[in-house]
Amino acid sequence: MNDLSLIIYSLKSRLMNSILSVLLTAFGVSIALLILQFENHVKDRITFDGKGIDIVVGAKGSPLQLILSSVYHIDIPNGNIPFKSVETLMKHPQIETSIPIALGDNWRGHRIVGTTKNYITHYKGEINSGRTWKRNFEIISGSNVNLELGDEIIGSHGLFEGGDEHETEKYKVVGKLKPTGTVIDRLLLTPIDSVLKIHGLDDINIKSHKHDDDHNEHEHNSEHKNPNIHKHELNNQNLEKINTSEYTKKSNQQPHEDDIHDDDHDHDHHDNDGKKEKTQKKESSAKITALLLITNTPIANANLPRLINSQSNLQAANPAIEIARLTSVLGLGSKSFRILSTILIGISILSIFSGLASNLENRSTDLAILRAIGYSKNRIFKIISIEGMLIVVSGITLGIILAISIFALLIQNITPLKISQAAFNFNYDILLVIVSVILIGFVASIFPALRASKISVAKQLAKNT
Amino acid sequence: MLFQIKNLEYSLNKKLILKNLDFILKESNHLLIIGPSGSGKTTLINLMAGLLKPTNGQIIFEDKEYNLLPEEQIDNIRLNNFGFIFQKLYLINHLTVEQNIQLAMQKSDKNFIDVLLHNLNLKEHKKKIASELSFGEAQRVAIARGVANKPKVIFADEPTSALDDKNVENVINLIFAQANHNKSTLIVSTHDSRIQKFFKNILKVSL
Repeated sequence: MNDLSLIIYSLKSRLMNSILSVLLTAFGVSIALLILQFENHVKDRITFDGKGIDIVVGAKGSPLQLILSSVYHIDIPNGNIPFKSVETLMKHPQIETSIPIALGDNWRGHRIVGTTKNYITHYKGEINSGRTWKRNFEIISGSNVNLELGDEIIGSHGLFEGGDEHETEKYKVVGKLKPTGTVIDRLLLTPIDSVLKIHGLDDINIKSHKHDDDHNEHEHNSEHKNPNIHKHELNNQNLEKINTSEYTKKSNQQPHEDDIHDDDHDHDHHDNDGKKEKTQKKESSAKITALLLITNTPIANANLPRLINSQSNLQAANPAIEIARLTSVLGLGSKSFRILSTILIGISILSIFSGLASNLENRSTDLAILRAIGYSKNRIFKIISIEGMLIVVSGITLGIILAISIFALLIQNITPLKISQAAFNFNYDILLVIVSVILIGFVASIFPALRASKISVAKQLAKNT
Repeated sequence: MLFQIKNLEYSLNKKLILKNLDFILKESNHLLIIGPSGSGKTTLINLMAGLLKPTNGQIIFEDKEYNLLPEEQIDNIRLNNFGFIFQKLYLINHLTVEQNIQLAMQKSDKNFIDVLLHNLNLKEHKKKIASELSFGEAQRVAIARGVANKPKVIFADEPTSALDDKNVENVINLIFAQANHNKSTLIVSTHDSRIQKFFKNILKVSL
């Protein structure tokens, strides 16, 4: 009978105790691994998705929501802003690049982002197959989106799966990007005017902006053939009254962003006295969800948001500040889970220790017999420590399986994880947890093993006579 | 020469248990160590098996003196040369009959185990868990384990003390049969005078 069989039969003889120890180890390890996965996922997304975006300008509301929706694409936007209100800002001398984005629709959960090619350039996107867009309703697909060149898709209302479809307009996939490890891998990118047109809004004329390279391809209001198109609302929210003010105007001069947009494009706004005033017909109804800004000086990162927030009806948020705030809150939760997982691992190690140690009392005669028939001290030490290590390794294996399964389940059921296509990654941190648990488990096993190996055969057998 | 015991002394907690013991044991010269309880019979067996270290004197097994050997080597001598049969049997209760026997074997030999089980009338109990055996069955398994590695020496400590007259004869005959079959030398310690008649070579120890 080999030693491994002897160990397995010994573990089987105290099955409940062994299972309990394995389960405790597994729970501790799985919680530790899940925490690490979430932390790494959030860290990666923060690092890569928000890379280089200094300021985000959008509708008033939660600054964090603005950042999460416009940079990380995991939340619903606060609202929309008139494009005209940010035009001057885009020409600000401290702005190096400005990228307008328009959201509102998705295809099977992948957001359709109306933007300019600067957006792709910013994330270092390269065409893998096909070409860039040349006209509206052409789409470049991120590397993680399951679409092929030439596929035609219909966008659905809203930013999550399940909205009504825009049956009147189809997008055509003309290009596919190489993987970038950033947010654009899971997005569908199209000229900004495609999104505006499909929601019945005016095109954006961004000819004057040095950052835009699509201006020759814009289609205009006159091209709206289907009157139903105007029934759509951007972002599934009530459209706002057009704000024709520039960002430098005082906020009390701005119209309410919550007012409902007239479908017939009869653009009204309030003056200081609350009187309605018909705007000129030339006034554009173009709206965007947010404007992403890359500044050319760090001072602008602090000054511009303050200026925008105090002097306009817009909101400017600094991703670095908002994410630091978010991670400090998340960090608190994650710290609690870390403590919980450490406690669980501690309990499991104690249970392995107590399982082996208490069992030793019952097994000391068996071990004395093994010593009598010629098992050496080293062999007894190995048998007992391997017994402990088998529990630890089984617990770790089960813990990894549990962590992967729970993570997969959470990805299916937690929308932000699903959207960001979180995947279980085996990395250095996981190795560290596994090695640490193995080491602690080994320490917990060697003490009973040492005691077992030092059993005095003659004394032990004399006890029983 | 199998064993040479020279001027052997053993004391525990300053109490002298064995004093000035000298004898020689040749192969196949079965030895009975007899004496009352507490006279040091089991201590002598433990010393000869290398399970205890003598306070004074020498124990030499096949020209190997225990005092000069590291513990690991004495373990190896036990594993390869000695078999044990205890009064309390000491089977490992969660293992089967076959597994208990295999424990004492360096290399498992299924055919030899089958022959052994057949000879000891245990064949149908091969896969039975030790805790489910009757005392008689368990005693035969203990004997089987004691001879499983075809040892040069079989140490039997009080193998018949708890048995009635009929079973004393059965058990001692079984042990002798197995010892003779494997050409093993039997060293039995007992206070049971009923088995004295089976031995020519008797060592009497007293308090």
